[in-house]
Amino acid sequence: MTLERRDGRPYYYRSVRDGDKIRKVYVGAGEKARVSHEEDALRRTGRKARLEREKENLERLEALAAPVLEVSEVAEILARAHLVAAGYHKHKGEYRRARRA
Amino acid sequence: MHGELELSEETRDRMAELRALSDRAEAGDKEARRKLRLMVRASSAEVVGRASDVGRRADRVLASSAAGGDPLAEEALCAKLDLMRAEIAGEDPTPLEVLLTERVVSLWMLTTLLEVLIAGQYRRDAGEGLKRLSPPYLIQQSRILESATRRYFAAIRELARVRKLQGERRSG
Repeated sequence: MTLERRDGRPYYYRSVRDGDKIRKVYVGAGEKARVSHEEDALRRTGRKARLEREKENLERLEALAAPVLEVSEVAEILARAHLVAAGYHKHKGEYRRARRA
Repeated sequence: MHGELELSEETRDRMAELRALSDRAEAGDKEARRKLRLMVRASSAEVVGRASDVGRRADRVLASSAAGGDPLAEEALCAKLDLMRAEIAGEDPTPLEVLLTERVVSLWMLTTLLEVLIAGQYRRDAGEGLKRLSPPYLIQQSRILESATRRYFAAIRELARVRKLQGERRSG
């Protein structure tokens, strides 16, 4: 978005994506240009703040989950080690005891 | 406090070793199975103790977050977790059953907390009307909840499986 000045008068253009290209779309001049520019800037700041908040929320959820997931992984490894050490092996998703020769 | 919620490097190394030996033993390596048996016997109780400790501390943090600063609610949640542990572990559990029980309880607490936090956020955002959540955020949030829920059900299945196989070994 650009606020251009020609002969002291503001002209406001928005940048719009059109496929691979970015097009400049005329919004207005004078007071309308100023108001639209400020509205877009506010929207952009609000969007940035929201994305920041969302990122923080996700980091918080992941931090809460991390220790539990780590303990969960340890339990999984240990359970498997116990079973394999006792002579079991996985066959089609189920543990079976190996046949003795 | 963060360090208390992490396993030590030593425990992680031992886990990596156990995993590698299990892979080799399952592939038919008899020497690996023998080593695995020794290692399981030697390190099981210690690893279970350390992992269970981390699990319990993590439960406390989750309960505190879920309680939202209300000490009574936090204590009630911790009491509920203790009750669940006792009920699920049953009488005279093996060290492995203790850890698998801790895993079920911790994952229950985690999925419950995630559901509460996410539902609360939807309610807040719906109340504020214009503040909409971005699709990538909603997708990522759902993934975290889905992953925890999947692990929770897998943990229940694993505990049942270990109990069944241990029962077979005792009776066989």
